Amino acid sequence: MPSRAALSALSEAAAVTAGVSLRRVQDGKRIITLATIGFVVVVLMQILFDAGLQPYGFENWRPILYAYVLWGIALGFGLVRMRGAAGHRALFVLPAVLFTVAMVIFPTFFGLYIAFTDWNLSSFEGRRFSGLKNLYALFADPYYRNALANMVFYVLMVLPQYAIAFGLALLLNADIRARKFFRVAFLLPFMLSPVAVSWMIGKSLMEYRFGPVAKLMREIGWDNPAFFTSPWIAKFSIAVMDAWVWIPFIMIMLLAGLQALPKELSEAAKVDGASKWQAFWQITFPLMLPVSVTAIVLRIIFQLKLADIVINVTSGGPGGATDTVSSFIFREYRDRSNVGYGTMLAEFYLIIIIIFITLLLHWVSRWMRKMH
Amino acid sequence: MRVELYNLLTRRTVLKGGAAAAALGVAGAAGVLPKSANADLRAELLKIPGVNMGSPTDADWQKVGELCMGSTKATVQQGEFKGVELTFMGLNNQNLHNLLFRGFLKPWEAYTGAKINWIDLAQADYNPRLQQAIATGTVDFDIVEMGAPFEGDVCGKGLASVMPDWVKQQIEMDDYVGYLKAPVGTWEGKTYRISIDGDCHNFNYRTDYFSDQELAAAWKAEGHQGEWGVPKTWQQVQEVTKFLKGKQVAGQDAYGYLDPIKPWGGFGFYFLGSRATAYAKHPDDKAWLFDADTMKPRINNPAWVRAIQDVIDALPYEPADQLNADPNTTGFSQFLAGTGAMCSWWGDVGSNAKTNDSSVIGDVCGFSILPGSDDVYNSKTGKWDKLASGPNYAPNMAYIGWGIYVMARVDSDSKKQKAAWSAAAHLGGKDISLWTAAYPSGFQPYRNSHFNVPEWVAAGYDEAFIKSYLDSEGNSYNHPNAAIEPRIPGIFQYYSVAEDELNKIWSGGSDAQTGADRIAAAWEKITDEIGRDKQIALYKASLGM
Repeated sequence: MPSRAALSALSEAAAVTAGVSLRRVQDGKRIITLATIGFVVVVLMQILFDAGLQPYGFENWRPILYAYVLWGIALGFGLVRMRGAAGHRALFVLPAVLFTVAMVIFPTFFGLYIAFTDWNLSSFEGRRFSGLKNLYALFADPYYRNALANMVFYVLMVLPQYAIAFGLALLLNADIRARKFFRVAFLLPFMLSPVAVSWMIGKSLMEYRFGPVAKLMREIGWDNPAFFTSPWIAKFSIAVMDAWVWIPFIMIMLLAGLQALPKELSEAAKVDGASKWQAFWQITFPLMLPVSVTAIVLRIIFQLKLADIVINVTSGGPGGATDTVSSFIFREYRDRSNVGYGTMLAEFYLIIIIIFITLLLHWVSRWMRKMH
Repeated sequence: MRVELYNLLTRRTVLKGGAAAAALGVAGAAGVLPKSANADLRAELLKIPGVNMGSPTDADWQKVGELCMGSTKATVQQGEFKGVELTFMGLNNQNLHNLLFRGFLKPWEAYTGAKINWIDLAQADYNPRLQQAIATGTVDFDIVEMGAPFEGDVCGKGLASVMPDWVKQQIEMDDYVGYLKAPVGTWEGKTYRISIDGDCHNFNYRTDYFSDQELAAAWKAEGHQGEWGVPKTWQQVQEVTKFLKGKQVAGQDAYGYLDPIKPWGGFGFYFLGSRATAYAKHPDDKAWLFDADTMKPRINNPAWVRAIQDVIDALPYEPADQLNADPNTTGFSQFLAGTGAMCSWWGDVGSNAKTNDSSVIGDVCGFSILPGSDDVYNSKTGKWDKLASGPNYAPNMAYIGWGIYVMARVDSDSKKQKAAWSAAAHLGGKDISLWTAAYPSGFQPYRNSHFNVPEWVAAGYDEAFIKSYLDSEGNSYNHPNAAIEPRIPGIFQYYSVAEDELNKIWSGGSDAQTGADRIAAAWEKITDEIGRDKQIALYKASLGM
C-alpha cells in the first residue's frame, strides 16, 4: 500500500502533467487548508460560546453562514489554483454541492440532533437533551400510528389514479377531435395549487349548504351530502380531490411514453388480426411498463407527502380519519410548538420513506428483470 | 389630561402662529372642546358608513383614523418621527385586524412621518409564529397585536416594553371595563397592554324562532315544561335543540344550538369552554381549568365531562355537516347566514348582524350572557351544588381580547420607542374604539363608554337590538362569577391537544370520560415540559390569587 506522502507526490505529479506548476498546487493547498482551519475555528468558537464555555462569540449564528460562504469561495479558488482546467470544471458543480450541503444535508443531520431533545417553545428552560424519550413517545402515539395507517390507504389510491390516467393518456394519444385542447384542459388541475383546489372543490363545490356537488347529490337522492363528516366518506373525498390534482401528472408521463412507442408494432399486431384489447394488453401495456413504474414510484413519493388538502379541508378529521403523517406533524409542530417531538416524527418518517422506496425500487427492478 | 392637552395645543399654536381654526379642529378631535363637540365627533364616527349601509371599506377606515388623530397631534409634532420605520405584526383573517389598522394608521403615518411595515398572519398561524420568534430570539417586530393569553410568553420573558405614563393618559385607561384592568395587561406590577378588544363569549339566538307561534304550540303539544322561549340554562338548550330537529321555520329546516366542532388551531376549545363554565366554574373558586395549587387538569372532572357529553348528545340534532364546521363556519357561514337558532361566539356576531353584507339575521337576532346550569360542580367537595340564588352563570371570558403591545427592542431608541407607543395609542384610543365596537372589526366593546345606548341609537341602531347586544356584553364582563382565562405560557398547546382528542370523541372514537382522561394526561405532560412550578405561579397570578 503506497504511503500518504507517495500519494501526495503522485497527485502533484498528475497536476504538473495537467499543466499546473508545483507552486500553484502548493498555493492552492495552502488556501484550502487555511480557509478550512479558519472556518472550523470560527464554528468551534461559536459552539463553545453558545454553550457558555468561553466568552467570545457572535450574537447569533448568521456570521457562521457568511464564514461558510467565504470558505466556499476559498475552496473554489484553491481548486482552480491546484487543478487548473479541472478546477474550473469543478466550479460548475461546487455551488450546487455547497448549497445542497447547507440546505439539505446539514438540516437533516441537525434535525436528528433536535429529534433527541425536549424542545417545547414555551418552555422556560429551552432545549434539553432527552435521549430516546421522543422515540418511545412516537411508538406509543396512537395519532401517529393512525396517520401511518391512513398513509397506506392514500398510497393504495395511487393505483386507481394510474388506471384512470392510463385511460386518459390512451384517449389523448388517439386521433380524437380537439386533441390539443383536451391535452391542455386535462393538465389544468395539475397547474393549480392543492391549496386552491382545497378551497375551490372541498370548501366550495362540495360545501354542504350551497355547494353545487352537494346540490347534485341531493337531486339524485342523497339526503345529507356531507362529504367530510363520516370517516370513510371523508377519506374517499380527500382521495378524490387528491386524484383530481395528480392524475394529469401521471397522464402526461404515460402520454409521453405512448408517443415514443414504435408504431410498427401496433400496426403489425393489427395486420396479424389482434383485437384492440389484445394489442393493448399484449403489446402496449408491457412496452409501457418502464414508464408506468417510473410514474407510479414518483407518484407514491409525492403521495407520502400529502398534507395541504387535508390541512385545509378537514384538519385531519373527523376523529383523525383523514389525517396524514405530514398533517399530524404540522399540527404537532405548529399548533403545539413541540419542536423536539415534531422533528422526531419527521425524521422517523423520512427513514420509513427511504426504506420503503428502496425496497420498492429493488422489488420493481427484480420484477422487471423477470418480465424481460 | 384634557386641560393639559388644551394648554399644549394653544401654546404651540400661538408660538408657531398657526391658524386658530386648525387648532380648534385639532382640539375638537382630541376632546378638548366642550362635551358637545366630542359628542359630535363620536356621532360622526358612528355614521361611517352608517348602520345598514353595507360593510365599511378602506376609505372608511382611513376616514375614521383621520378623525381620531386629535390625541396624537396633541402629543406628537408633525413630522416628528420622520425616518422611523416600525414593524407591526398582527392578523389578517376575515379581512379585518391588520387591514383595518393599515387604514387607521395611514393618517398617523402621514402626520408623523413614520413608516409601518406589516407582518400579516392568519389566526391559526399566529401562535406558532409568535412562539418561534420568542424561542429562537428572532423577534422581528416592534408592535404586536396579541391576546392576553400570550402575556405569559411575552411579558413574562421580558420581551415587551413598559407602557409610559403619557400613553396611559392618552388612551384613558380608566374607561376600561373592570375585568380588563390589572392584573390583565400587567406583569409584576408593570403595565404592558393597550386593550383594543374585550373578549367574552355571549349567547346569540334567533328572536323569530322563539316568538314563533307554531313552535310554541308544538312545544306544549309535545309536553315540554314551561313556556316556549329563549333557553336560560344549558339543560334547556339541549332540550330545545332536540325539539327543533325535523321542524321548519320560515320554510327552512330548523336547527337548535350549533357546536363548532372542527379544530381551529386551538381556538375551537373555547367553544367547549363556553358550554362547560356554568358546570365547572363554582362561585367560591376562581380556578376552573386546573387546580390552582398543583396544575392538575380539571378537564376530566364530572363538570367538563358533562359538557362534553352534552355536545355528543346534541350533535345528531345539529346540521349534518357540523363535524366539519369550524368556529368561523359556524358563526358566519351558518348562523349569520340563517342556519341554526343559537350559538355562542365572541361579540362579532352582534357587530356583524346588521353591518355585514352576508348577514340575513340583522332584524331577528337577540343576545344574552351564556346560559347557566341548574347545578354546579364543586371541585373541592367533589359534589354538585344547587345554589340558593338559582342557576349558576359563569360567562366565559374567552381570550380576554386583543391588545396592542410594544416590544422591548424599541426601548434602546427613544424616538422609535415614542413612535411605537404613539402608533399603538392611536389604535387604542377612546374614540376610535367606539367605531371598532360598532362595525365589523374583529373587536367588541371593552370600555364603559361603549355602553351608552342612546349613542348607538342615534347612529341608526334599533334600540331593542343594541340594548340586548350591549347588555349581553356588559353583563358578561361585570359578572361576579366570570370564568377568566389563564394567561399562562403555552396555553394554546393545551387547547390544541384537547382539540385533537375532542375531535376523536365527536366522531365516536371514544367516550366522553375516556377522551377527557386522555386530554388530562396530555395536559400534565405539557405542564411538565414547560415547567410545573412556574406554571402554577403564573396560573395563580393570572387569576389574581
